[in-house]
Amino acid sequence: MYGSDMCALDRIDLTIEPGEHVAVVGANGSGKSTLLKMLDGLVFCSSGAIAAFGHTLTEDSLEEPALRREFRSRVGFVFQDADVQLFCNTVLDELAFGPLQLGMEPDEVRARVAEVAAALRIEKLLDRAPYTLSGGEKKRVAIASVLTMRPQVLLLDEPTNALDPRSQVWLLDVLREWKAAGRTVIIATHDLTAAAESCERMVVLSEEHRVVADGAPEDVLSQRALLLSVNLIHEHEHRHGGIGHTHDHAHGHTHG
Amino acid sequence: MHIPDGYLGPQTYAVLDAAIIPLWAVAGAKVKKTLKAKQVPLLALGAAFSFVIMMFNVPVVGGSTGHAVGATLIAILLGPWAAAIAVSIALVIQALVFGDGGITAIGANCLNMAIIMPFVGFYIYRLVSGDSPSTIRRSVAAGIGSYVGIVVAAIAAGIEFGIQPLIAHTASGHALYAPYPLSVAVPTMALEHLAFFGPIEAVITMGIIAVLAKQDSRLLQMKPAAKPLRWLWAGFGVLVLLTPIGVLAPGTAWGEWGAEQLRTTLGYVPAGLEKLGGAWTSAMPGYAPAFIRDPLVGYLVAAVVGSALVVGIAWLLGRVLARKEEPPATPPSGTT
Amino acid sequence: MIPAVAHIGDAAPRRRAGARSVARRTADAIAGAVGEVLENDRLASLPGLMQRLDPRMKAVSIVLLAVVTSFVHSIPMLLVLVVATMLLAAASHVSVGSFARKVWASAGFFGVLLSAPAATAWITPGPVVVALGPLSITAPGLLVAGRLILRVAAGAGFGLLVVWTTRWSDLLRALGAMGVPDLVVATLAMTQKQIMSLLRTVENMHLARESRMLSAGSARENRGWVVERMAFVARRSMKTADDVYDAMLARGFTGAMPSLVDLRASDRDWLWLAATVVACTFVLLIDRMVFPL
Repeated sequence: MYGSDMCALDRIDLTIEPGEHVAVVGANGSGKSTLLKMLDGLVFCSSGAIAAFGHTLTEDSLEEPALRREFRSRVGFVFQDADVQLFCNTVLDELAFGPLQLGMEPDEVRARVAEVAAALRIEKLLDRAPYTLSGGEKKRVAIASVLTMRPQVLLLDEPTNALDPRSQVWLLDVLREWKAAGRTVIIATHDLTAAAESCERMVVLSEEHRVVADGAPEDVLSQRALLLSVNLIHEHEHRHGGIGHTHDHAHGHTHG
Repeated sequence: MHIPDGYLGPQTYAVLDAAIIPLWAVAGAKVKKTLKAKQVPLLALGAAFSFVIMMFNVPVVGGSTGHAVGATLIAILLGPWAAAIAVSIALVIQALVFGDGGITAIGANCLNMAIIMPFVGFYIYRLVSGDSPSTIRRSVAAGIGSYVGIVVAAIAAGIEFGIQPLIAHTASGHALYAPYPLSVAVPTMALEHLAFFGPIEAVITMGIIAVLAKQDSRLLQMKPAAKPLRWLWAGFGVLVLLTPIGVLAPGTAWGEWGAEQLRTTLGYVPAGLEKLGGAWTSAMPGYAPAFIRDPLVGYLVAAVVGSALVVGIAWLLGRVLARKEEPPATPPSGTT
Repeated sequence: MIPAVAHIGDAAPRRRAGARSVARRTADAIAGAVGEVLENDRLASLPGLMQRLDPRMKAVSIVLLAVVTSFVHSIPMLLVLVVATMLLAAASHVSVGSFARKVWASAGFFGVLLSAPAATAWITPGPVVVALGPLSITAPGLLVAGRLILRVAAGAGFGLLVVWTTRWSDLLRALGAMGVPDLVVATLAMTQKQIMSLLRTVENMHLARESRMLSAGSARENRGWVVERMAFVARRSMKTADDVYDAMLARGFTGAMPSLVDLRASDRDWLWLAATVVACTFVLLIDRMVFPL
């Protein structure tokens, strides 16, 4: 975390298999985003090691052009705030950025861009400046800009945040397609419903930044006491007429 | 201080537009070396911040407001070379996207606000704050630096305006571009900024540095300067010694003509100059104390006395502020 | 002299109802600026004369026009140039009324204010036209002032024509294609985008303050708030720079910014350039020969 001396993550030990769809859930501040950034080689741990595709990820190892090219093209990161991720002049430039950085030929880049733009139905947005787009459009472009690199692994940080209901449904469809295509997906979210629907494995982070559960969503979500203790759900009381009524309330459920 | 098109003639704007390009190139090279790959986002954010600063209405008195430029502030946060680029980018965008500021005048505007202001402001800041980690000293240094910076930049702009009637006029001596001579343009710009825009700039810069220093001193890179300012002093000393060379040049310095010289060269004397010229008698008229006959020695004495005064005042200020020092800033505790 | 305030904000729509608070004024100025940028997108897609030109041609011809404007000295020809800006605006489906208003607000108004003293005997002595003692308006004074005002208006007009009929992204592509280094173009693009984002944040800050203030507050109080908010924006900017850098790294950023260039000039663009050169030459010739100084 920026400007912090506090320990961001504590004793995490995770292995993720190719093709898995994993949801990393936890309350805000539990370190989900930091974990994802570590997995993408953007943040480095002071103790321990991260390995991907047979290589150890360190600040130095990723400076080496060959490893950087290989890693960056195989792992894509969709940031929580699409605005951060859209930094190019036009949507076309945005989609072309990754392939151009990888050193691909302009014609090949154009072909890739056309392909992904068609798949995500954003062809009409190609010559627009990203800051003129709506929230949903920005998210599509953000995802498209990652897909042009044809990554095998996708890291998504709070993907359903700030999305209107229709876009959320669309996103879940996209995740389903990726599952069928065999892509590995790791989602950081506090939206338990979306997590359960799209992933077959759920990892729970506590507010002390530790893994407290790791298994199938049905199993994890049935551990009510655990979920309460990590502040993922809370008891919510309201009254019907003269009768008090208590039930569990999770935050972040968004689509109906 | 943004100069629109039409006020500066091609003799001026062409020279300044040409001059700014190598300066940009040098700044680019320096920034690339220090910031490396991170330069694009850092400069872009610096430029955006600079742009936004210029948009804030700063309450002055009652309901009146003014604007700040923020170039010295950015120089303190990112270094003077990066500030040169960031402010230049903000100015270019102001001109090309918002139609604010001229296209031919880009060179002049960047020279004043993106080169002169941040560099003057930054080095004065360094001079007054020394190596001190004291927040108060740094903030006041920032205030003084930005004040001097904006005044010097304003004077530069005044000079750019003021020379127009001299270098571009009709046969009868009437101005083709900005119509006010140096004797009007420079004092007006100087006074405006000494009395109004300067204090605004100083208050804003000082305030922001103080707030930032309190919240995250790392932003101000408050560690002792790696190299002492020894070379700066040495260079300064050499310059002082070289001042008498000016005596060798014939004629009067450009723009420093008295009423008589204007009358002979131009054929007329702007009424303002006629009235105000000679109104103030300085302690050392002609840059030589009255009792010294030899002009060379006189020049040298004037240079030494003048420089000593400026340095002395700056140093005194630094000491006075050091006395008000808080205990050294505690290491940053983290909160996001 | 030159006020540091010939800014976008001063052209923002003014509400008639009484004095606005400082917070409201800034919020309005920002809203005006943001609105202009978004409006620019709409204007730039209209099928007008200027819009259909290749952005490189536009850039070159506008610089040419700005330079020529600085060489024309006679009042009649300067007037011709000002009228030319209006005609080009009209041909580009831009409302001449709002064009004129914007030119007036950004350059004309201050041009008149600043040149007023130059019209008097104090600065430009000569045969008196309107006797007002030491501030009498003289004939040469009117020429000097008029020349400045018209020149400033023409310059602002030509600049505005480019700004209003070209999308910023297209202008950047033009700059890139004309030799401006890739990194510079990339930084310009990112800056503009960050400006839009920061402006929205700052606007909301001001509106939030406006909604919570029961009275106007002292200048000192308000200044303190402005300072604190600017510091917040500074910290936020640094953090955003870090985040954007991470995002660039995540997509394989190597430090260089290559881009796909695909601008092609058509016959119409060359015709336009030729016409502009011819027109400028014409104007200059008439200026020098028919109206010598």
